[in-house]
Amino acid sequence: MRPGRRILGSEHLAGWVFVLPATVLIVVFGIIPIGWVVLLSLQHNDLLAAPTWAGLSNYRELVHDPEFRDSVRRTIVYTALFVPISVGGALAVALLLHSEIRFNRFYRTAVFVPVATSTVATGILFNWLLDPTYGIANYLLGKVGLGPYGFFQDPDQALYAIVAMTVWGWLGFDVIIYLAALQGIPGDVLEAAALDGAGRWATFRHVVLPLLSPATLFLVVWSTINALQVFDEIYVTTRGGPLQATTVIVYELYNQAFALFHAGYAAAIALVLFLITLVFSVLQLWVGNRRVHYSS
Amino acid sequence: MRRRLLLATALVAALSLAAGCGGGSGGSSGGRVNIVLWHGYVDTEGKAINAAAALFNKTHPKIHITVQNYGNSDYALQKVLTAIRGGSYPDIVYLYGSWAANVARTPHAVDIAPLIKSDPSIHWNDFWPAERQAVTVGDKIIGVPALVDNLALVYNKKLFRQAGIPFPTASWTWDDLRAAAQKLTNPSAKQFGWAYVNDASEDTVWRFDALLWQAGGDILTPDDKHAAFNSPAGVKAATLLQQMATIDHSIYLDSGNDNYANLFNSGKIGMLFTGPWDLSQFPDVDYGVQILPGDQNHQTISGPDQWVMLDNGDARTKAAWTFLKWFTSPTEAMRWSLATGDLPIRASETKLPAYQAYVKRYNGIATFVQNEGNALKARPVLVDYNEISQAMGQAIQAVLLGKAQPKQALDQAAAQVNQVLAQGG
Repeated sequence: MRPGRRILGSEHLAGWVFVLPATVLIVVFGIIPIGWVVLLSLQHNDLLAAPTWAGLSNYRELVHDPEFRDSVRRTIVYTALFVPISVGGALAVALLLHSEIRFNRFYRTAVFVPVATSTVATGILFNWLLDPTYGIANYLLGKVGLGPYGFFQDPDQALYAIVAMTVWGWLGFDVIIYLAALQGIPGDVLEAAALDGAGRWATFRHVVLPLLSPATLFLVVWSTINALQVFDEIYVTTRGGPLQATTVIVYELYNQAFALFHAGYAAAIALVLFLITLVFSVLQLWVGNRRVHYSS
Repeated sequence: MRRRLLLATALVAALSLAAGCGGGSGGSSGGRVNIVLWHGYVDTEGKAINAAAALFNKTHPKIHITVQNYGNSDYALQKVLTAIRGGSYPDIVYLYGSWAANVARTPHAVDIAPLIKSDPSIHWNDFWPAERQAVTVGDKIIGVPALVDNLALVYNKKLFRQAGIPFPTASWTWDDLRAAAQKLTNPSAKQFGWAYVNDASEDTVWRFDALLWQAGGDILTPDDKHAAFNSPAGVKAATLLQQMATIDHSIYLDSGNDNYANLFNSGKIGMLFTGPWDLSQFPDVDYGVQILPGDQNHQTISGPDQWVMLDNGDARTKAAWTFLKWFTSPTEAMRWSLATGDLPIRASETKLPAYQAYVKRYNGIATFVQNEGNALKARPVLVDYNEISQAMGQAIQAVLLGKAQPKQALDQAAAQVNQVLAQGG
């Protein structure tokens, strides 16, 4: 038998042909664009005229750009608030929903609905809820003698309003993960804890929480990646304002690329964001893996 | 056998993936030139452009035009750039006026200056001055005017009567505006005298431009090398906004989501600086239209958009030019205005019999048409314009929010703009 025929007839070829469509998709829509972004970040490119070689000057400019530095600071503030509030809040809600209470299914659905709602709809809703003059939020707060607040229209409050809105939007997802993890805790472990005389707090602290740690690690890493890349919610509400109070890294990237047509500079921002995300994720996984308990 | 079947299935899947890409609809067949036009029109305008294309195809057997909707016009430039990169792009595309300088940089855009010179039948000078300025980039002309609008004062007649103030006149001053806005404001009813779009975007900036020009100021120095908006005229304009927003609280600050239109329609806002595109959103209000209040003059700002031609070879360029000449001719342009309510793009349209029907059909539109004569200045046509606009937008927003003094905010923005202009792109 000639070697050629063996390859043609082998299962290898069929295998390769089968993965070909997926591979092509990943290469075309994943690998090539990433490579292109790297190239773009080394160019002066306005997407219109022929690009010119920039070397590392985009990166040098980035280091000295106060607007970029501010956007990094805001992104970190946002992440530092969003991750603990959404993950911690989800744990609390999941614990409540895990217990036997009436209308449990209704509550679970209610908590998850925001996740299934489109970001644009959420944005429009919050724009009206938090409108300083006509919004229901200020109306209700006024009833108890608070406010009025500017929310999205006050540079000192807008970022926190975004935190509140995104926590509301994403909480349900985290809750579902926690509920699944809670259901995965074996009953005999809890029984053993009870037999050993552990109270509710001790059981939670020393049995439940450690057994939830794989879910917690996943949620912290996942939420952090999401928070560092927050964009949609800002785009549909404050558009980076007022006075750039909500201009986070990705919004700055968007503005540079698609409003100012500094595509090379924006690509450099994208790569820096990628590195920041990578560092955060590796760090979290490294710390997390030493503390996570995987039940066998 | 079974293996071969598997292989065949996989191949089919891979091939059909490859076949999904590519394609294009322009070209020529049987002596007929096929051209493609991209637009963002929907609803009434969407129907009108389809009707225009059908009429053109019927009356011009040698050319066939296909009109395609590219979605939201806000992102048209990105889409066109992507299409150019992909090597398959339309012959005519609707683009915003503020992109003119960017468009001029792409080698694919047709410079129509020679066409205008060699073909007087376009009657170029019949287009409004602001439209011609907007498509002129250096010695190039990068498009044919597609749409024009301008800002005028739209007011709620009922609220004026309730407050006991006479309707705005053509000789209103800024003081009249401020006083009326104050009287129309009623905090307990959550009613405001005026509204201002305060998202620091171009929507914020162009309304300020009108005030700046009224006070005798300019955005840049005549050579386009330095900022000029921090002049005493600019400070005066910003101070008007500051006083109304932070002292009188007579302005509803719109966060950029166009709530102001709903609020005006529900009688919560007395006056707007807005254009003809908004009028259809006010079915519940008996509104009047007046030219803008003035300081040294009553200038307004005009926002022209254009049809840009992209080069797909001489035959298609010629066909595209034929279409645009026909489509922007006075008769066709008037037909368009009558159907859509858009302003006439040519001065001579106002002399056509159909113009009378148009003015009757769209309440207040006649004032907007006259107001086009008050659009004397244009925004600078520069690649860096968006950066200038963003710097100015931040300054105006800071003033409106009471976070900065007019002079200080404008000086800071001017410093940024000077830096951008010094770098030269």
